Amino acid sequence: MTLRVWHVVLVAALFLAFAFPAIADVAVPQLTGRVVDRTGTLSSSDIAALSQKLSDFETRKGSQIAVLIVPTTDPEAIEQFSIRVAEAWKIGRKKVDDGAILVVAKNDRHLRIEVGYGLEGALTDVTSRRIIDEVITPKFREGDFAGGISAGVDRMMRVVDGEPLPVPSRSVKFTNLNDIGPLAPIVLFASLIVGGLFRSLLGRLLGSVATGSLVGILALLILGSPGIALIAGIVGFVLAFIADLSPASTGSSRGGSWSSGSSSGGWTSGSSSSDSGSFSGGGGSFGGGGASGSW
Amino acid sequence: MCKILTVLAALASLSLTNCGYNAIQSEDEQIKANWSEVVNQYQRRADLVPNLVNSVKGFAQQEKDVLLGVTNARAKVGSIQATPEVLNDPAAFQKFQAAQGELSSALSRLLVVTENYPQLKSDALFKDLMSQLEGTENRITVARNRYIKAVQEYNVTVRSFPNNLTAMVFGYKEKPNFSVENEKEISTAPKVDFNPAPAPSK
Repeated sequence: MTLRVWHVVLVAALFLAFAFPAIADVAVPQLTGRVVDRTGTLSSSDIAALSQKLSDFETRKGSQIAVLIVPTTDPEAIEQFSIRVAEAWKIGRKKVDDGAILVVAKNDRHLRIEVGYGLEGALTDVTSRRIIDEVITPKFREGDFAGGISAGVDRMMRVVDGEPLPVPSRSVKFTNLNDIGPLAPIVLFASLIVGGLFRSLLGRLLGSVATGSLVGILALLILGSPGIALIAGIVGFVLAFIADLSPASTGSSRGGSWSSGSSSGGWTSGSSSSDSGSFSGGGGSFGGGGASGSW
Repeated sequence: MCKILTVLAALASLSLTNCGYNAIQSEDEQIKANWSEVVNQYQRRADLVPNLVNSVKGFAQQEKDVLLGVTNARAKVGSIQATPEVLNDPAAFQKFQAAQGELSSALSRLLVVTENYPQLKSDALFKDLMSQLEGTENRITVARNRYIKAVQEYNVTVRSFPNNLTAMVFGYKEKPNFSVENEKEISTAPKVDFNPAPAPSK
């Protein structure tokens, strides 16, 4: 009898062991805005006011600050979780690295200010800890989360204001030329293959133009940079015009005439995915600077 | 003629990207960059230690041996060169890691001792030093993790076919990586002591 009970227990234990192999880390939440609240702590008006404040700050100073509230970071420590968030969100400008994230793990009663490389001189570890200990956590202890976060963010902005940073620019971002590197072979082969195809359909000049534009559109879709797309398009055109890999002019096209019913997959170009309301990190990097605290 | 040129261009671009030479180069550079970040953060910690020792000294003079331990470990760390050449010499790398590990454990002993001095713990300067130390330790962790990832990537590149042939020709070897520093300590069960520690006479 007892033996059978043990048997059942053992089987159940084994089943559980396989069903739940290990507690996985908390996934990094999507960057839906400057304030991401996964706990429902802040009211929508709180979030709107905070976001507005942070967005005005970015327009004025160029530096991005984001707020994240999660229920828990278990099994990780808040430091490990928040560096993962920072690496995923890339808050702050690229090469300036002037981003900061205020991470609150509500049920763990832990919070952290994660500071990007460019702000480590202003938001030092000591300053960050003082903001946490003297501004934020006293309000958290009273249960005033919105007030604590708002006051903390105000103080962070005031500190960052004292830091000389590059002026925020409104120019169109051209992707680095480095980004062409990995694309070069692809452009080459796409131009050769597609070029051969188009040329046998449309003749040399028209086919090359078609190839160039297709390669350009593809580059635009992949990289989202008009400058690079233009270069790739021109390269595609030239290659298709010069290259002679497929026997185009001759009629020896193995019987299988190109059925030009290539159901075009609907390139809805012009979806420039830059809605005025959306927010994305500018590519800033972090190295674990900042401070943590609890209340 | 054009046909031949095109084929040649295609082959050249393929062979350059495919023998892994460029990948090895860029990953090697990445490792160097990550390594200097690691060294940079360790240096930051070493610079903090004397201030920390001094601020503890003011309140806890009788903890001579602990303070001495930290000072000695700090001196040892300072005497080891951490140039990128260390990365090609597993023995030197081991030595560097051992010295840093010793400083880590000396520091943690010091922090345990400070628990007995409430006045020290409420001292503003000590508090600031502690948050600097915490931040630095966190930066070290981040830098080390990034170094570990970069080395993993590089080692896989160097060992996989056909890059291993390229690596052999140019003499690129696998790089050493960080291991758990206190393996010995982890593998022995901790002693639980239920006797209350004697209160330090102030």
